[in-house]
Amino acid sequence: MTDAGHSGGCQCGAVRYHCEALGRATICHCRMCQKAFGGFFGPLVTARGLTWTRGGPDHFASSSKVRRGFCSKCGTQLTYDWGGEPEVAIGTLDDPEQAAPVLQVNPAGMLSFFGRLHELPLRTASENTQAAAFMADIVSFQHPDHDTGQWPQEQAGENGRD
Amino acid sequence: MSSDDGQGAYHHVGLQDENEEHTGGCQCGAIRFRMKGTPLDRSICHCRMCQKAFGNFYAPLVNTRDTEFEWTRGAPKRWQSSNHVVRGFCGNCGTPLSYEAEDGLAISIGAFDNPTPLMPLIQFGMEGKIEWVDDLSTLPGRRTEEDIEFAPFLADIESYQHPDHGTETWPETKDD
Repeated sequence: MTDAGHSGGCQCGAVRYHCEALGRATICHCRMCQKAFGGFFGPLVTARGLTWTRGGPDHFASSSKVRRGFCSKCGTQLTYDWGGEPEVAIGTLDDPEQAAPVLQVNPAGMLSFFGRLHELPLRTASENTQAAAFMADIVSFQHPDHDTGQWPQEQAGENGRD
Repeated sequence: MSSDDGQGAYHHVGLQDENEEHTGGCQCGAIRFRMKGTPLDRSICHCRMCQKAFGNFYAPLVNTRDTEFEWTRGAPKRWQSSNHVVRGFCGNCGTPLSYEAEDGLAISIGAFDNPTPLMPLIQFGMEGKIEWVDDLSTLPGRRTEEDIEFAPFLADIESYQHPDHGTETWPETKDD
């Protein structure tokens, strides 16, 4: 996020965007959003004044009226484009906390267990020996949650890798 | 764990027919898969890596290591998200499909034709959990047709999504 507006992008960083303001944030339970996102719902927020600041998404026409944008390099779902103000996938914002949903769209498609997920037992990485070993030397190749001057970034230095 | 009742309910979810078959694929249908068996490693991960990969609040994944799994049409395009993990997605429509690490191949639960039997059993990556994510199910709801004023294009929409079952050909033959 910058001082004015909001930034975001895909996991690898090949596609980055900026918008002036965020509009209505929703989660959509329809089967189209579930499958597009490989998840339980589509988390979308209207992005006012959206501009692509690095690269741009590929598109799939998921219906006669909608095309969905994604990064062709890493696959991250980025946009829901219906011809008006586009919506961006909330998880792609550098700070998703800024777009708390206010509405559930198409609740008829809601998965039966959706309302019980918060009751599931929790496990942090450090509580699990196998996971701890996995995390001990992990080096993320994900783009950071802020804009960068160049992409890909130089890996040498802070991450200790060439 | 909120209660014994809750624990029992989740355990019951895991007791399924060992011959059960789960199919799925990406939104456009270019990639399809089949999983046979009862996968017990089913989770949602709240870490920031999974959030961004899925463009979502968490990633729902089922690990296939105790099942018979095969790609039945096409294969995912892959991107290495860290030195330990490769993530697969459809190169044509972008659907996130896989998380591949030392502990096996995990598949996005939402990509299954019927996600309902694959309810997650545990939450990972709590350090990345979004503070309001537990409250989503309490938000007011609105049916799609009630949202027409906000999205008038929905009135006569025609889906191009692959159906939630296997198909002989892809793309499907049109009537023309």
